[in-house]
Amino acid sequence: MSIASHAESPGLWVLAWRRFRHDRVGLVSYYIVLLFVALVAASWTGLIASDWEKEVGVSHAPPTFLGPGAVASHIEPAAAPQSLHSDESAESNVIDPLAEVLAEIRGGKPIGAADTGIVDPLADVLAEIRGQSGSASATETQAATLLLGGDKWGRDVLKKVIKGTETSMFVGLAAAALAALLGTVFGAMAGYYGRWIDDLFNWFYSVFTSIPYLLLILSIAAVLNQKGTITVILILGLTGWTGIFRLVRAEYMKHKVREYVQAADAIGASHMRRIFVHILPNVSHVVLVQLSLHVVLFIKSEVVLSFLGFGVGVDTVSWGSMLNEAQTELLIGNWWQLAAATAAMAVMVTAFGLLTDALRDALDPKLK
Amino acid sequence: MSAVDNTPVNKPSENNPLFSIRDLSVSFRIDRTTRLDAVKGISFDIPANSTVALVGESGSGKSVTALAILGLLPKQNSVVASGGRILYRDRNLLALAPDEMRKLRGCDISMIFQEPMSSLNPLFTVGFQLIEVLTEHVGLRDKPARARAIELLREVGIPEPETRIDAYPFQLSGGQQQRVMIAMAIACEPKLLIADEPTTALDVTIQKQILDLIAEVQKRRQMSVLFITHDLAVVGEIADHVIVMRDGEIREQGSVGRIFESPQDSYTQALLLCRPRLGRRPKRLPVIDDFLNRTPAAAPDAPERSRGLRGDEEIVLEVRHLGKSFYSRKGLFGRQEFKAVHDVSFKLPKGKTLGLVGESGSGKTTVGLALMRLHEASSGQVLFDGKDLLSMPPREAMRYKRRIQIIFQNPYSSLNPRFTIGQILMEPMQIHRIGAGEQERRNMAYELLEKVGLPGTSFFKYPHEFSGGQRQRIAIARCLTMKPDVLICDESVSALDVSVQAQVLNLLQDLQDEYGMSYIFISHDLAVVKYMADEVMVMNEGEIVETANSDDIYLNPQHPYTKKLLSSIPKGWQGRTERPLLN
Amino acid sequence: MFAYIARRLWQMIPTLLGVVLLVFFLFTWVGGDPAYLLAGKISNPEQIENIRRQLGVDQPIYVQLWIFITQIATGDFGVSWSTNEQVSDIFATRLGPSLTVLVPLLLVSTLLAIAAAMLVAYLRGSLTDRMVMIGCTVGQSISILVYIIVFQYLLAYRLGWFPVQGWGKGFTENLFTYSLLPIIVGVLVSLAPDTRLYRTFFLDEINQDYVRTARAKGMSETRVIWVHVMRNASIPIITNVMIQLPGLLVGAFLIERFFSIPGIGREVLLAVERSDFPVIKAVTIYVAIATMITNLLADLLYKAVDPRVQLK
Repeated sequence: MSIASHAESPGLWVLAWRRFRHDRVGLVSYYIVLLFVALVAASWTGLIASDWEKEVGVSHAPPTFLGPGAVASHIEPAAAPQSLHSDESAESNVIDPLAEVLAEIRGGKPIGAADTGIVDPLADVLAEIRGQSGSASATETQAATLLLGGDKWGRDVLKKVIKGTETSMFVGLAAAALAALLGTVFGAMAGYYGRWIDDLFNWFYSVFTSIPYLLLILSIAAVLNQKGTITVILILGLTGWTGIFRLVRAEYMKHKVREYVQAADAIGASHMRRIFVHILPNVSHVVLVQLSLHVVLFIKSEVVLSFLGFGVGVDTVSWGSMLNEAQTELLIGNWWQLAAATAAMAVMVTAFGLLTDALRDALDPKLK
Repeated sequence: MSAVDNTPVNKPSENNPLFSIRDLSVSFRIDRTTRLDAVKGISFDIPANSTVALVGESGSGKSVTALAILGLLPKQNSVVASGGRILYRDRNLLALAPDEMRKLRGCDISMIFQEPMSSLNPLFTVGFQLIEVLTEHVGLRDKPARARAIELLREVGIPEPETRIDAYPFQLSGGQQQRVMIAMAIACEPKLLIADEPTTALDVTIQKQILDLIAEVQKRRQMSVLFITHDLAVVGEIADHVIVMRDGEIREQGSVGRIFESPQDSYTQALLLCRPRLGRRPKRLPVIDDFLNRTPAAAPDAPERSRGLRGDEEIVLEVRHLGKSFYSRKGLFGRQEFKAVHDVSFKLPKGKTLGLVGESGSGKTTVGLALMRLHEASSGQVLFDGKDLLSMPPREAMRYKRRIQIIFQNPYSSLNPRFTIGQILMEPMQIHRIGAGEQERRNMAYELLEKVGLPGTSFFKYPHEFSGGQRQRIAIARCLTMKPDVLICDESVSALDVSVQAQVLNLLQDLQDEYGMSYIFISHDLAVVKYMADEVMVMNEGEIVETANSDDIYLNPQHPYTKKLLSSIPKGWQGRTERPLLN
Repeated sequence: MFAYIARRLWQMIPTLLGVVLLVFFLFTWVGGDPAYLLAGKISNPEQIENIRRQLGVDQPIYVQLWIFITQIATGDFGVSWSTNEQVSDIFATRLGPSLTVLVPLLLVSTLLAIAAAMLVAYLRGSLTDRMVMIGCTVGQSISILVYIIVFQYLLAYRLGWFPVQGWGKGFTENLFTYSLLPIIVGVLVSLAPDTRLYRTFFLDEINQDYVRTARAKGMSETRVIWVHVMRNASIPIITNVMIQLPGLLVGAFLIERFFSIPGIGREVLLAVERSDFPVIKAVTIYVAIATMITNLLADLLYKAVDPRVQLK
């Protein structure tokens, strides 16, 4: 018997896409996010901004549209007023247990100053690196202005922003994926099986949620005492699954008593089949929206962590570390690093947020 | 189909009707491109001091019409066409300023809804919500308001109104909640009470009480009632005039006597005859299409089917002392037992239908689920082929799973929304390894689709593209893939419109004739059960109170509960012809 | 009621035990030998030895756990590794300043958010609604760090309307001089997410059947929203506020740090930077207990506000 040709019938995702297309705000955010993704891909593969560490401009170079020398003279970081810091050693952005010791050795001179009177066994290696990346005292010409300005070491803010975007996007997506995976699996098990399995997972959930989120993260950061992107992703992912868990669990409890699941039981489908083949596709849209929300949450958390020095490593740029530098820069009137980081973050997070809203409306339309 | 007798009922001797609706059209904006025309230019009158029934199936536009009269349509996406008029006391309600309209709501025109539990604010007492209306329209406050509220509660039959006035909605039963809604609606002596399916969500015995209450109130206060329903039996009992709607249009309208005795429109005729009647049992129920095409099956003297057990049939399933209890926590360490099903025993003969009747909470659904091991029974045995299904280890039970199947009540949630129809049909075959290979299974799926009356193209479609009746047929096809011996129909047609019900019932009967399946037919709808079942068991509060052949039980009920149940069924027009006609 | 409270307290025990185990696991097992951590921070080797002995580092793990549990039971976590203050003293003195900022902050931001959400729910679908919502989304996308930095710079440093940072002696002085800017910044930061959340609560209620009934009775839209909807929406709002409380104690650490408010959050931050484990452990346990108790209180409050709730 021949099967008559058929028109592909629209499933949930196709229908949602059609609805989504009509939402102008959602569509615009979607394209903006795509743009960011493209930017990040280019940055990750090294196409752009790979040389962000190069000190290509003069220290505190102003943005091009302001013109060179639009700013007060460079102030040594050590002399920056104490009032915007509290209990921190003024020059380090980074928590370094040996900071005081080193400062002593250096004889109070700031980092980067060439002549400190110490014999450095790695001097040759460092000289090589310096030669490649340029330094404040190298003979390469340095720009008086950069497109979005330069930071204290003359690094291009534009490139830093792009790299920062890459960091945030990577951390946000990876941590959200981890949290979503854990939350969905735990939630499915707990919601579907109930009884002691549910009690066990609920116990985990109450333990994790009894400790305020940021406190938990800080504790783990304090204990691990090491920085790095992977560490941040793990910390965020392993603590952030609770919200998704609760929602997925509620969804599974709701769907489990629906008749189509009972019908699956009646025809003989196994538990695993019911959980993953029957119920999961009906829950996936909730997970997707939660994933998107958590990306935003984790990006913001990562920024705070990096700001405090518990986040990504020294060799990785983050909006958080940029904001950290921006504090002192404001005092001397340099606002461009602050503005660039804030603007980039605002645009991306807003776009993501609006995209999430549009996604939610497209997947589960209700009369508003 | 063109409408018949479209002109509003307006006897020359009557003064002007209370309400005159002319050319009312309402449409909804679904999204940027789609528009749904819910009401398409209807006209009718509501005379003073009479009950007008607005009858139609789901999607007919009857509720929308009611909301339009009150001005309660959602402003964001509803559009009332400008040509329409709703005339009341020489004013067009559609053209009134919002504040003027608000003064009429609750005062001249009031409305009660289908779900009383959710229609009352759960956080305020009954008294608060009642006094609110009195304060707003009549200006009563404090003591006088409270006294009046207590009076109203007494009028609608709430026992001990002085204390119940301070109760919260959740502390009242469904019937009492609806009485409170009625009290709120009549508080300010309205001229028109709109009742939108007020008894659909209530049990049959309670339904009768509420219907009586509404009729009583109507007579006492000489007000008009616009009664919206899909149930023609109810219409026959209480209405003076009847308006039949379908797809946003009025098909026919007239006095209740004329409509029931000589309906002109084919749709009206179909509605009247599609429903199984207590007195007759045709071999096939007529369906709407029969009337629209005027085929011979529509003839009122179609051959009847006889039902009943002789007592010597082969037994395919035997249930002994089935019990199911639910436990809830009580105090610090104790627990409380709730017996949902208690000591239920019966035998199901091969190829016959056993009807299981009861109101909500009687335990009938629990029995069905326990048979299938979808709920774990607390006690008892289910003997199938000589083996006890309930005590079998799961692996062995799997082999028996395909031989007892179930069709659920809600067609909208019994199919997985993310599966195509093809996947839904093929899955049981894949699990039980029916058929030699994918191709053969596909062929079987197509055959079954044809058997249940659906086109082959359905294979690739998703459930949301099908109507309720079609989805039930897909559910039936899904069961058929496994060729079960026993099929449990758990309220399988209760959520369907009358015309669709008939189609599904006919299909079920055809399948039983062809395959010789045995049915357990669970329902609260006595007329349907009598039509389908050979033997009927009546359940109340978890126990079987009476079992008899279906003809016998209706003609000669023994147990007081059975008698009460039977007397609550609206008799319809037949039951009324003894009473004098109003108007 | 009494049976319910007793049962809830009983149920808290496994959770508390879990928190204790988690903290212990983190700080003792993962954290490892404090000698290593403190090497760069405390120069006095005798002090380090003391600490190690106190914790029982050389002893089997279950002994260490027992030491920890006795600490919790007696409420004596020892002394801070960096300042040598009694941990319990630290906690006691820092609680006041934290609350001086947090309580007004919570009050003001909740009231403002309710007002904004109600307005927007009333005007739902209109241009104002969409603009406000987008404004909220944008507002939420800016990091709290930026708010603090910019506002501190502009309003305090440049314009001098508020002190840049610091804390005083008297309660009134603290409340009206030093807390104002932190409160303003805190309110701004939480306004956007709270408004969105409360708007959802209001809209959920507006679409309910009882609202349709109220309108059918001829109630004015104002009454419908202010009396009917508000009453129902207040339940999730109250729950939401109560649940935030313990988290806020610590979550305000950024504000406290920037404005040099000697509160618990800032203390925690300092402790983390200095790897001052006793302080972190103590705060974690205390806050966990506070969270569990607050949840219980929230449930009891729920019962008082919603007559349908049956405590079992």
